[in-house]
Amino acid sequence: MPLLLSTHLSGYISWTNRVQEFEPARTIRRMKTEPTADLSDARHAADARLLGLVATGDSAALGELYDRFSRPLYATALRILNDPGEAQDIVHDAFVAVWEKAASFETARGTAFSWVLTLTRNRAIDRLRSRRRRHELLETSTLSDLGLDENSSGPGADSAASSSDQATTLRAAVAALPADQQRALTLAFFSGLTQEEIAARLETPLGTIKARIRRGLLKLRDQLAHRL
Amino acid sequence: MNAERHEDLAALAALDLITHAEHSEFTAALAEHPELAAIAASLRSTAAELAHTAPAAEPPADLKIRLLKTIAGDARPVPASVAQSPRSTILPFPTWIGFATAACFACLAAYFAQAYFNQSALNSAFRDQQNLADLSLHSTKNQLAAERLIAQRELADAAKRAADTAALITTLESRLAETKQRLFAQGTLADYKIATLASLLGNSPQAVAVAIWNPASQEGVLTVQKLPALAADKDYQLWVIDPQYSIPVDGGVFKVDPTTGEGRLIFHPNRPVQTVAKFAVSLERKGGVPKAEGPMVLIGP
Repeated sequence: MPLLLSTHLSGYISWTNRVQEFEPARTIRRMKTEPTADLSDARHAADARLLGLVATGDSAALGELYDRFSRPLYATALRILNDPGEAQDIVHDAFVAVWEKAASFETARGTAFSWVLTLTRNRAIDRLRSRRRRHELLETSTLSDLGLDENSSGPGADSAASSSDQATTLRAAVAALPADQQRALTLAFFSGLTQEEIAARLETPLGTIKARIRRGLLKLRDQLAHRL
Repeated sequence: MNAERHEDLAALAALDLITHAEHSEFTAALAEHPELAAIAASLRSTAAELAHTAPAAEPPADLKIRLLKTIAGDARPVPASVAQSPRSTILPFPTWIGFATAACFACLAAYFAQAYFNQSALNSAFRDQQNLADLSLHSTKNQLAAERLIAQRELADAAKRAADTAALITTLESRLAETKQRLFAQGTLADYKIATLASLLGNSPQAVAVAIWNPASQEGVLTVQKLPALAADKDYQLWVIDPQYSIPVDGGVFKVDPTTGEGRLIFHPNRPVQTVAKFAVSLERKGGVPKAEGPMVLIGP
Protein backbone atom coordinates (compact mmCIF):
# COMPACT_ATOMS: atom_id res chain seq x y z
CA MET A 1 0.00 0.00 0.00
CA PRO A 2 2.74 2.61 0.63
CA LEU A 3 4.02 1.88 -2.88
CA LEU A 4 0.53 2.33 -4.26
CA LEU A 5 0.18 5.53 -2.34
CA SER A 6 3.43 6.93 -3.61
CA THR A 7 2.55 6.04 -7.22
CA HIS A 8 -0.73 7.80 -7.06
CA LEU A 9 0.75 10.74 -5.24
CA SER A 10 3.38 11.28 -7.89
CA GLY A 11 0.71 11.30 -10.57
CA TYR A 12 -1.43 13.71 -8.68
CA ILE A 13 1.43 16.05 -7.89
CA SER A 14 2.28 16.36 -11.59
CA TRP A 15 -1.35 16.94 -12.33
CA THR A 16 -1.78 19.53 -9.60
CA ASN A 17 1.06 21.53 -11.09
CA ARG A 18 -1.23 22.20 -14.10
CA VAL A 19 -4.57 22.61 -12.43
CA GLN A 20 -3.88 23.74 -8.94
CA GLU A 21 -7.18 25.54 -8.72
CA PHE A 22 -9.01 22.25 -9.15
CA GLU A 23 -6.91 20.23 -6.75
CA PRO A 24 -6.87 21.83 -3.33
CA ALA A 25 -3.77 21.14 -1.29
CA ARG A 26 -5.83 19.86 1.58
CA THR A 27 -6.95 16.96 -0.59
CA ILE A 28 -3.38 15.88 -1.12
CA ARG A 29 -2.63 16.14 2.54
CA ARG A 30 -5.66 14.06 3.34
CA MET A 31 -4.60 11.44 0.83
CA LYS A 32 -1.39 11.04 2.72
CA THR A 33 -3.22 10.26 5.89
CA GLU A 34 -6.23 8.39 4.42
CA PRO A 35 -4.84 6.30 1.57
CA THR A 36 -7.93 4.15 0.80
CA ALA A 37 -11.33 5.43 -0.29
CA ASP A 38 -10.20 9.06 -0.23
CA LEU A 39 -7.43 8.31 -2.67
CA SER A 40 -9.85 6.63 -5.05
CA ASP A 41 -12.27 9.52 -4.74
CA ALA A 42 -9.52 12.02 -5.42
CA ARG A 43 -8.46 10.11 -8.50
CA HIS A 44 -11.99 10.10 -9.85
CA ALA A 45 -12.45 13.76 -8.95
CA ALA A 46 -9.26 14.67 -10.77
CA ASP A 47 -10.42 12.69 -13.80
CA ALA A 48 -13.75 14.50 -13.75
CA ARG A 49 -12.06 17.89 -13.54
CA LEU A 50 -9.78 17.01 -16.40
CA LEU A 51 -12.85 16.11 -18.39
CA GLY A 52 -14.33 19.47 -17.43
CA LEU A 53 -11.26 21.18 -18.89
CA VAL A 54 -11.56 19.13 -22.04
CA ALA A 55 -15.14 20.37 -22.34
CA THR A 56 -13.77 23.91 -22.44
CA GLY A 57 -11.54 23.05 -25.36
CA ASP A 58 -8.34 22.42 -23.46
CA SER A 59 -6.37 20.06 -25.65
CA ALA A 60 -3.62 19.77 -23.04
CA ALA A 61 -6.20 18.37 -20.62
CA LEU A 62 -7.18 15.85 -23.23
CA GLY A 63 -3.53 14.85 -23.54
CA GLU A 64 -3.36 14.43 -19.80
CA LEU A 65 -6.53 12.37 -19.82
CA TYR A 66 -5.06 10.24 -22.59
CA ASP A 67 -1.99 9.57 -20.52
CA ARG A 68 -4.17 8.45 -17.64
CA PHE A 69 -6.68 6.32 -19.55
CA SER A 70 -5.08 5.12 -22.77
CA ARG A 71 -3.40 1.97 -21.39
CA PRO A 72 -6.47 0.28 -19.89
CA LEU A 73 -8.61 1.50 -22.76
CA TYR A 74 -6.21 0.19 -25.38
CA ALA A 75 -5.80 -3.08 -23.48
CA THR A 76 -9.57 -3.47 -23.33
CA ALA A 77 -10.04 -2.75 -27.02
CA LEU A 78 -7.22 -5.11 -27.89
CA ARG A 79 -8.70 -7.79 -25.68
CA ILE A 80 -12.10 -7.43 -27.35
CA LEU A 81 -10.89 -7.14 -30.94
CA ASN A 82 -7.60 -9.02 -30.82
CA ASP A 83 -6.28 -6.65 -33.48
CA PRO A 84 -3.76 -3.90 -32.57
CA GLY A 85 -4.61 -1.72 -35.57
CA GLU A 86 -8.32 -1.81 -34.91
CA ALA A 87 -7.71 -1.28 -31.20
CA GLN A 88 -5.72 1.86 -31.97
CA ASP A 89 -8.49 3.14 -34.21
CA ILE A 90 -11.04 2.49 -31.48
CA VAL A 91 -9.01 4.35 -28.85
CA HIS A 92 -8.41 7.22 -31.24
CA ASP A 93 -12.11 7.49 -32.12
CA ALA A 94 -13.11 7.22 -28.47
CA PHE A 95 -10.87 10.12 -27.47
CA VAL A 96 -12.16 12.19 -30.38
CA ALA A 97 -15.64 11.49 -29.02
CA VAL A 98 -14.43 12.58 -25.59
CA TRP A 99 -13.16 15.81 -27.14
CA GLU A 100 -16.49 16.45 -28.82
CA LYS A 101 -18.85 15.29 -26.07
CA ALA A 102 -17.03 16.05 -22.84
CA ALA A 103 -19.64 18.63 -21.89
CA SER A 104 -22.28 15.90 -21.76
CA PHE A 105 -20.49 13.97 -19.02
CA GLU A 106 -22.41 13.79 -15.75
CA THR A 107 -20.57 12.82 -12.58
CA ALA A 108 -23.78 11.49 -11.08
CA ARG A 109 -23.86 8.68 -13.63
CA GLY A 110 -20.42 7.30 -12.86
CA THR A 111 -16.74 8.12 -12.93
CA ALA A 112 -15.03 9.85 -15.81
CA PHE A 113 -13.09 6.68 -16.45
CA SER A 114 -16.27 4.62 -16.69
CA TRP A 115 -17.72 7.15 -19.16
CA VAL A 116 -14.64 7.08 -21.39
CA LEU A 117 -14.41 3.32 -21.07
CA THR A 118 -18.02 2.97 -22.17
CA LEU A 119 -17.25 5.05 -25.26
CA THR A 120 -14.30 2.78 -26.02
CA ARG A 121 -15.89 -0.54 -25.18
CA ASN A 122 -19.09 0.14 -27.09
CA ARG A 123 -17.08 1.03 -30.18
CA ALA A 124 -14.96 -2.06 -29.85
CA ILE A 125 -17.99 -4.30 -29.46
CA ASP A 126 -19.72 -2.61 -32.41
CA ARG A 127 -16.60 -3.20 -34.48
CA LEU A 128 -16.47 -6.76 -33.30
CA ARG A 129 -20.03 -7.37 -34.34
CA SER A 130 -19.71 -5.52 -37.60
CA ARG A 131 -16.90 -7.65 -38.85
CA ARG A 132 -19.07 -10.69 -38.27
CA ARG A 133 -16.72 -12.54 -35.96
CA ARG A 134 -19.35 -12.94 -33.36
CA HIS A 135 -20.88 -16.06 -34.78
CA GLU A 136 -17.45 -17.51 -35.35
CA LEU A 137 -16.46 -16.81 -31.79
CA LEU A 138 -19.59 -18.41 -30.45
CA GLU A 139 -19.04 -21.52 -32.48
CA THR A 140 -15.30 -22.02 -32.30
CA SER A 141 -13.84 -20.18 -29.38
CA THR A 142 -13.14 -21.66 -26.01
CA LEU A 143 -13.17 -19.92 -22.70
CA SER A 144 -9.42 -19.58 -22.87
CA ASP A 145 -9.82 -17.82 -26.25
CA LEU A 146 -12.05 -15.35 -24.51
CA GLY A 147 -9.46 -14.78 -21.81
CA LEU A 148 -10.95 -17.30 -19.40
CA ASP A 149 -9.16 -20.41 -18.25
CA GLU A 150 -11.51 -22.52 -16.25
CA ASN A 151 -8.56 -24.00 -14.44
CA SER A 152 -7.07 -20.68 -13.53
CA SER A 153 -8.11 -18.39 -10.75
CA GLY A 154 -8.97 -15.56 -13.16
CA PRO A 155 -7.30 -12.66 -14.83
CA GLY A 156 -5.05 -12.10 -11.87
CA ALA A 157 -3.08 -15.16 -12.90
CA ASP A 158 -2.32 -13.78 -16.32
CA SER A 159 1.43 -13.46 -16.65
CA ALA A 160 0.96 -10.60 -19.05
CA ALA A 161 -1.14 -8.65 -16.66
CA SER A 162 -0.66 -5.01 -16.20
CA SER A 163 2.26 -4.20 -14.00
CA SER A 164 0.56 -1.20 -12.55
CA ASP A 165 -0.49 -1.27 -8.96
CA GLN A 166 -4.00 -0.38 -9.94
CA ALA A 167 -4.20 -3.33 -12.29
CA THR A 168 -2.71 -5.57 -9.66
CA THR A 169 -5.27 -4.44 -7.16
CA LEU A 170 -8.07 -5.00 -9.61
CA ARG A 171 -6.84 -8.44 -10.52
CA ALA A 172 -6.58 -9.35 -6.89
CA ALA A 173 -10.09 -8.17 -6.25
CA VAL A 174 -11.44 -10.10 -9.21
CA ALA A 175 -9.46 -13.16 -8.18
CA ALA A 176 -11.15 -13.02 -4.83
CA LEU A 177 -14.52 -13.51 -6.48
CA PRO A 178 -15.99 -16.98 -6.86
CA ALA A 179 -14.92 -18.56 -10.16
CA ASP A 180 -18.43 -18.63 -11.64
CA GLN A 181 -18.82 -14.90 -10.95
CA GLN A 182 -15.40 -14.20 -12.48
CA ARG A 183 -16.33 -16.06 -15.64
CA ALA A 184 -19.69 -14.34 -15.91
CA LEU A 185 -18.19 -10.89 -15.40
CA THR A 186 -15.30 -11.44 -17.77
CA LEU A 187 -17.53 -12.75 -20.54
CA ALA A 188 -19.98 -9.91 -19.95
CA PHE A 189 -17.21 -7.31 -20.12
CA PHE A 190 -14.94 -8.50 -22.91
CA SER A 191 -16.87 -10.85 -25.16
CA GLY A 192 -19.59 -8.60 -26.49
CA LEU A 193 -22.07 -11.41 -25.91
CA THR A 194 -25.64 -10.83 -24.77
CA GLN A 195 -27.12 -12.20 -21.57
CA GLU A 196 -28.63 -15.14 -23.38
CA GLU A 197 -25.43 -15.84 -25.28
CA ILE A 198 -23.42 -15.81 -22.05
CA ALA A 199 -25.92 -18.17 -20.48
CA ALA A 200 -25.72 -20.47 -23.48
CA ARG A 201 -21.97 -20.29 -23.54
CA LEU A 202 -21.71 -21.22 -19.88
CA GLU A 203 -24.63 -23.65 -20.13
CA THR A 204 -26.25 -21.93 -17.17
CA PRO A 205 -29.80 -20.60 -16.71
CA LEU A 206 -30.22 -16.93 -17.61
CA GLY A 207 -31.45 -16.01 -14.16
CA THR A 208 -28.38 -17.55 -12.62
CA ILE A 209 -26.12 -15.60 -14.95
CA LYS A 210 -27.86 -12.35 -13.98
CA ALA A 211 -27.46 -13.19 -10.31
CA ARG A 212 -23.75 -14.00 -10.76
CA ILE A 213 -23.18 -10.70 -12.56
CA ARG A 214 -25.00 -8.78 -9.86
CA ARG A 215 -23.26 -10.49 -6.99
CA GLY A 216 -19.89 -10.29 -8.65
CA LEU A 217 -20.16 -6.59 -9.30
CA LEU A 218 -21.38 -5.83 -5.79
CA LYS A 219 -18.56 -7.81 -4.22
CA LEU A 220 -16.03 -6.22 -6.54
CA ARG A 221 -17.31 -2.80 -5.62
CA ASP A 222 -16.98 -3.55 -1.95
CA GLN A 223 -13.51 -5.01 -2.30
CA LEU A 224 -12.26 -2.08 -4.39
CA ALA A 225 -13.60 0.32 -1.85
CA HIS A 226 -11.31 -1.26 0.69
CA ARG A 227 -8.31 -1.98 -1.51
CA LEU A 228 -7.95 1.31 -3.43
CA MET B 1 -40.26 -5.01 -7.06
CA ASN B 2 -37.45 -5.63 -4.56
CA ALA B 3 -33.99 -4.17 -4.16
CA GLU B 4 -32.38 -7.31 -5.55
CA ARG B 5 -34.21 -6.85 -8.84
CA HIS B 6 -33.08 -3.23 -8.93
CA GLU B 7 -29.50 -4.34 -8.40
CA ASP B 8 -29.88 -6.92 -11.15
CA LEU B 9 -30.97 -4.22 -13.55
CA ALA B 10 -28.26 -1.82 -12.41
CA ALA B 11 -25.58 -4.48 -12.85
CA LEU B 12 -26.79 -5.40 -16.33
CA ALA B 13 -26.93 -1.71 -17.26
CA ALA B 14 -23.41 -1.21 -15.95
CA LEU B 15 -22.17 -3.84 -18.39
CA ASP B 16 -24.45 -2.70 -21.22
CA LEU B 17 -26.18 -6.07 -21.18
CA ILE B 18 -29.62 -4.72 -20.43
CA THR B 19 -32.40 -5.56 -22.87
CA HIS B 20 -34.95 -3.10 -24.19
CA ALA B 21 -37.65 -4.40 -21.86
CA GLU B 22 -35.31 -4.29 -18.90
CA HIS B 23 -34.22 -0.80 -19.87
CA SER B 24 -37.80 0.43 -19.72
CA GLU B 25 -38.24 -1.29 -16.38
CA PHE B 26 -34.99 0.20 -15.12
CA THR B 27 -35.95 3.69 -16.25
CA ALA B 28 -39.24 3.42 -14.41
CA ALA B 29 -37.46 2.14 -11.30
CA LEU B 30 -35.02 5.05 -11.43
CA ALA B 31 -37.90 7.47 -11.60
CA GLU B 32 -39.56 5.82 -8.65
CA HIS B 33 -36.42 5.27 -6.59
CA PRO B 34 -33.91 8.08 -7.12
CA GLU B 35 -31.44 6.39 -4.79
CA LEU B 36 -31.09 3.64 -7.40
CA ALA B 37 -29.15 6.07 -9.60
CA ALA B 38 -26.29 6.12 -7.11
CA ILE B 39 -26.19 2.31 -7.07
CA ALA B 40 -26.20 2.21 -10.86
CA ALA B 41 -23.40 4.76 -11.00
CA SER B 42 -21.28 2.86 -8.50
CA LEU B 43 -21.79 -0.44 -10.36
CA ARG B 44 -20.95 1.19 -13.69
CA SER B 45 -17.79 2.65 -12.21
CA THR B 46 -16.93 -0.74 -10.72
CA ALA B 47 -17.55 -2.54 -14.01
CA ALA B 48 -15.29 -0.05 -15.76
CA GLU B 49 -12.46 -1.07 -13.48
CA LEU B 50 -12.55 -4.49 -15.14
CA ALA B 51 -10.65 -2.83 -17.95
CA HIS B 52 -7.56 -3.03 -15.75
CA THR B 53 -7.81 -6.82 -15.79
CA ALA B 54 -7.12 -6.97 -19.50
CA PRO B 55 -3.64 -8.16 -20.45
CA ALA B 56 -1.28 -5.22 -20.34
CA ALA B 57 -0.84 -3.51 -23.65
CA GLU B 58 0.91 -0.26 -24.47
CA PRO B 59 -0.62 1.86 -27.21
CA PRO B 60 1.91 3.09 -29.77
CA ALA B 61 3.41 6.48 -29.02
CA ASP B 62 2.21 7.99 -32.29
CA LEU B 63 -1.41 7.33 -31.36
CA LYS B 64 -1.41 10.29 -29.00
CA ILE B 65 0.23 12.47 -31.64
CA ARG B 66 -2.38 11.33 -34.17
CA LEU B 67 -5.16 12.12 -31.70
CA LEU B 68 -3.83 15.60 -30.91
CA LYS B 69 -3.46 16.33 -34.63
CA THR B 70 -7.04 15.26 -35.17
CA ILE B 71 -8.46 17.52 -32.49
CA ALA B 72 -6.17 20.40 -33.50
CA GLY B 73 -8.30 20.76 -36.64
CA ASP B 74 -11.51 20.68 -34.67
CA ALA B 75 -13.01 24.11 -34.01
CA ARG B 76 -15.50 22.73 -31.52
CA PRO B 77 -17.42 25.59 -29.88
CA VAL B 78 -17.32 25.78 -26.12
CA PRO B 79 -20.69 24.83 -24.59
CA ALA B 80 -22.53 27.76 -23.05
CA SER B 81 -22.93 26.04 -19.72
CA VAL B 82 -19.20 25.52 -19.51
CA ALA B 83 -18.33 28.96 -20.77
CA GLN B 84 -20.49 30.55 -18.10
CA SER B 85 -19.03 28.60 -15.21
CA PRO B 86 -16.63 30.34 -12.80
CA ARG B 87 -13.85 28.00 -13.95
CA SER B 88 -13.94 29.53 -17.39
CA THR B 89 -12.12 32.61 -16.12
CA ILE B 90 -8.85 30.69 -16.06
CA LEU B 91 -9.04 29.44 -19.61
CA PRO B 92 -6.03 30.30 -21.74
CA PHE B 93 -6.84 33.47 -23.64
CA PRO B 94 -5.64 32.45 -27.10
CA THR B 95 -7.47 29.16 -26.99
CA TRP B 96 -10.91 30.57 -27.39
CA ILE B 97 -10.48 34.17 -28.46
CA GLY B 98 -9.05 33.11 -31.77
CA PHE B 99 -11.92 30.79 -32.50
CA ALA B 100 -14.42 33.35 -31.28
CA THR B 101 -12.91 36.10 -33.42
CA ALA B 102 -12.75 33.85 -36.44
CA ALA B 103 -16.31 32.73 -35.84
CA CYS B 104 -17.45 36.35 -35.54
CA PHE B 105 -15.69 37.34 -38.74
CA ALA B 106 -17.05 34.29 -40.48
CA CYS B 107 -20.56 35.06 -39.30
CA LEU B 108 -20.23 38.72 -40.31
CA ALA B 109 -18.78 37.79 -43.67
CA ALA B 110 -21.53 35.28 -44.26
CA TYR B 111 -24.14 37.80 -43.16
CA PHE B 112 -22.85 40.58 -45.41
CA ALA B 113 -22.37 38.20 -48.31
CA GLN B 114 -25.90 37.00 -47.90
CA ALA B 115 -27.16 40.57 -47.61
CA TYR B 116 -25.15 41.58 -50.70
CA PHE B 117 -26.51 38.75 -52.78
CA ASN B 118 -30.03 39.39 -51.54
CA GLN B 119 -29.75 43.10 -52.39
CA SER B 120 -28.25 42.34 -55.79
CA ALA B 121 -31.06 39.97 -56.56
CA LEU B 122 -33.57 42.58 -55.36
CA ASN B 123 -31.97 45.30 -57.50
CA SER B 124 -31.99 43.04 -60.52
CA ALA B 125 -35.65 42.30 -59.94
CA PHE B 126 -36.40 46.04 -59.64
CA ARG B 127 -34.48 46.76 -62.85
CA ASP B 128 -36.44 44.11 -64.67
CA GLN B 129 -39.69 45.53 -63.35
CA GLN B 130 -38.63 49.06 -64.38
CA ASN B 131 -37.73 47.90 -67.88
CA LEU B 132 -41.08 46.20 -68.19
CA ALA B 133 -42.82 49.34 -66.92
CA ASP B 134 -40.87 51.51 -69.40
CA LEU B 135 -41.75 49.18 -72.23
CA SER B 136 -45.38 49.21 -71.21
CA LEU B 137 -45.35 53.02 -70.95
CA HIS B 138 -43.75 53.37 -74.38
CA SER B 139 -46.29 51.02 -75.89
CA THR B 140 -49.12 52.93 -74.24
CA LYS B 141 -47.75 56.24 -75.56
CA ASN B 142 -47.59 54.86 -79.09
CA GLN B 143 -51.09 53.57 -78.82
CA LEU B 144 -52.35 56.92 -77.51
CA ALA B 145 -50.57 58.76 -80.34
CA ALA B 146 -52.17 56.46 -82.91
CA GLU B 147 -55.56 56.88 -81.33
CA ARG B 148 -55.07 60.65 -81.24
CA LEU B 149 -54.29 60.72 -84.98
CA ILE B 150 -57.30 58.56 -85.70
CA ALA B 151 -59.48 60.79 -83.54
CA GLN B 152 -58.16 63.90 -85.26
CA ARG B 153 -58.92 62.44 -88.67
CA GLU B 154 -62.37 61.37 -87.56
CA LEU B 155 -62.93 64.84 -86.08
CA ALA B 156 -61.87 66.51 -89.33
CA ASP B 157 -64.13 64.20 -91.31
CA ALA B 158 -66.99 64.89 -88.93
CA ALA B 159 -66.38 68.64 -89.19
CA LYS B 160 -66.32 68.39 -92.97
CA ARG B 161 -69.48 66.35 -92.91
CA ALA B 162 -71.06 68.86 -90.56
CA ALA B 163 -70.07 71.72 -92.83
CA ASP B 164 -71.45 69.89 -95.84
CA THR B 165 -74.60 69.13 -93.95
CA ALA B 166 -74.90 72.74 -92.85
CA ALA B 167 -74.44 73.88 -96.43
CA LEU B 168 -76.99 71.34 -97.57
CA ILE B 169 -79.37 72.50 -94.91
CA THR B 170 -78.81 76.08 -96.01
CA THR B 171 -79.41 75.10 -99.60
CA LEU B 172 -82.50 73.12 -98.72
CA GLU B 173 -83.77 75.91 -96.53
CA SER B 174 -83.19 78.32 -99.38
CA ARG B 175 -84.97 76.02 -101.78
CA LEU B 176 -87.72 75.55 -99.30
CA ALA B 177 -88.08 79.27 -98.95
CA GLU B 178 -88.12 79.68 -102.68
CA THR B 179 -90.64 76.92 -103.02
CA LYS B 180 -92.74 78.41 -100.32
CA GLN B 181 -92.47 81.77 -102.01
CA ARG B 182 -93.31 80.28 -105.35
CA LEU B 183 -96.15 78.33 -103.92
CA PHE B 184 -97.32 81.43 -102.18
CA ALA B 185 -97.01 83.30 -105.42
CA GLN B 186 -98.79 80.59 -107.32
CA GLY B 187 -101.44 80.24 -104.74
CA THR B 188 -103.30 77.09 -104.04
CA LEU B 189 -105.27 74.94 -106.41
CA ALA B 190 -108.49 76.05 -104.77
CA ASP B 191 -107.72 79.59 -105.79
CA TYR B 192 -107.48 78.66 -109.50
CA LYS B 193 -110.37 79.63 -111.78
CA ILE B 194 -111.25 77.03 -114.40
CA ALA B 195 -113.86 77.82 -116.96
CA THR B 196 -115.23 76.09 -120.03
CA LEU B 197 -116.19 78.29 -122.95
CA ALA B 198 -119.05 77.23 -125.19
CA SER B 199 -119.46 77.98 -128.88
CA LEU B 200 -121.73 80.73 -130.08
CA LEU B 201 -121.09 79.97 -133.75
CA GLY B 202 -123.78 78.44 -135.84
CA ASN B 203 -121.30 76.95 -138.27
CA SER B 204 -118.98 75.56 -135.58
CA PRO B 205 -121.08 74.34 -132.73
CA GLN B 206 -118.39 71.79 -131.70
CA ALA B 207 -115.91 74.53 -130.91
CA VAL B 208 -114.89 74.50 -127.29
CA ALA B 209 -112.32 76.17 -125.05
CA VAL B 210 -111.00 75.81 -121.47
CA ALA B 211 -109.47 78.66 -119.49
CA ILE B 212 -107.43 78.28 -116.30
CA TRP B 213 -106.81 81.44 -114.35
CA ASN B 214 -104.42 82.05 -111.40
CA PRO B 215 -105.55 85.19 -109.70
CA ALA B 216 -102.44 85.32 -107.51
CA SER B 217 -100.10 85.51 -110.43
CA GLN B 218 -102.57 87.29 -112.73
CA GLU B 219 -101.80 84.66 -115.34
CA GLY B 220 -103.86 82.12 -117.23
CA VAL B 221 -103.93 79.51 -119.98
CA LEU B 222 -106.48 79.16 -122.69
CA THR B 223 -106.80 76.05 -124.83
CA VAL B 224 -109.20 75.90 -127.79
CA GLN B 225 -110.31 73.17 -130.17
CA LYS B 226 -112.30 72.97 -133.42
CA LEU B 227 -112.43 76.65 -134.00
CA PRO B 228 -112.87 77.69 -137.63
CA ALA B 229 -109.78 78.67 -139.47
CA LEU B 230 -109.06 82.38 -139.56
CA ALA B 231 -108.77 84.67 -142.50
CA ALA B 232 -105.42 86.25 -143.03
CA ASP B 233 -106.54 89.63 -141.69
CA LYS B 234 -108.26 88.25 -138.65
CA ASP B 235 -107.26 87.05 -135.10
CA TYR B 236 -109.14 85.57 -132.23
CA GLN B 237 -108.97 87.84 -129.12
CA LEU B 238 -109.55 86.76 -125.45
CA TRP B 239 -111.52 88.99 -123.11
CA VAL B 240 -111.70 88.76 -119.26
CA ILE B 241 -114.87 90.14 -117.85
CA ASP B 242 -114.34 91.71 -114.42
CA PRO B 243 -117.33 93.44 -112.85
CA GLN B 244 -115.11 96.21 -111.55
CA TYR B 245 -114.54 97.39 -115.13
CA SER B 246 -117.22 98.63 -117.46
CA ILE B 247 -115.67 96.96 -120.51
CA PRO B 248 -113.91 93.56 -120.76
CA VAL B 249 -110.21 93.47 -120.11
CA ASP B 250 -108.00 92.51 -123.06
CA GLY B 251 -106.43 89.08 -122.65
CA GLY B 252 -104.46 88.97 -125.90
CA VAL B 253 -104.85 87.54 -129.42
CA PHE B 254 -104.15 84.03 -130.74
CA LYS B 255 -104.41 81.93 -133.88
CA VAL B 256 -105.57 78.35 -134.39
CA ASP B 257 -104.31 75.49 -136.49
CA PRO B 258 -106.29 75.83 -139.73
CA THR B 259 -106.69 72.07 -140.06
CA THR B 260 -107.60 71.09 -136.50
CA GLY B 261 -108.88 74.36 -135.14
CA GLU B 262 -106.68 73.95 -131.98
CA GLY B 263 -104.84 76.74 -130.29
CA ARG B 264 -103.16 77.70 -127.01
CA LEU B 265 -102.63 81.05 -125.31
CA ILE B 266 -100.85 81.98 -122.08
CA PHE B 267 -102.35 85.28 -121.25
CA HIS B 268 -101.67 88.19 -118.97
CA PRO B 269 -104.48 90.70 -118.83
CA ASN B 270 -103.41 94.23 -119.53
CA ARG B 271 -105.23 95.39 -116.38
CA PRO B 272 -105.36 93.91 -112.88
CA VAL B 273 -108.17 91.47 -112.59
CA GLN B 274 -109.80 91.04 -109.25
CA THR B 275 -112.74 88.82 -110.00
CA VAL B 276 -113.29 86.80 -113.17
CA ALA B 277 -116.97 86.71 -114.03
CA LYS B 278 -116.60 85.23 -117.56
CA PHE B 279 -114.08 84.57 -120.31
CA ALA B 280 -115.01 85.43 -123.89
CA VAL B 281 -113.38 85.02 -127.31
CA SER B 282 -114.24 87.28 -130.25
CA LEU B 283 -113.17 87.46 -133.88
CA GLU B 284 -111.27 90.69 -134.42
CA ARG B 285 -109.08 92.30 -137.03
CA LYS B 286 -105.52 91.26 -137.07
CA GLY B 287 -103.48 92.42 -134.04
CA GLY B 288 -106.54 92.88 -131.84
CA VAL B 289 -108.50 95.86 -130.66
CA PRO B 290 -108.74 97.69 -127.24
CA LYS B 291 -112.49 97.21 -127.12
CA ALA B 292 -114.38 94.27 -128.57
CA GLU B 293 -115.86 95.04 -132.02
CA GLY B 294 -116.35 91.71 -133.85
CA PRO B 295 -118.69 88.86 -133.21
CA MET B 296 -118.39 86.76 -129.96
CA VAL B 297 -117.49 83.16 -130.79
CA LEU B 298 -116.93 81.59 -127.36
CA ILE B 299 -118.09 82.54 -123.89
CA GLY B 300 -118.10 80.90 -120.46
CA PRO B 301 -118.75 79.80 -117.98
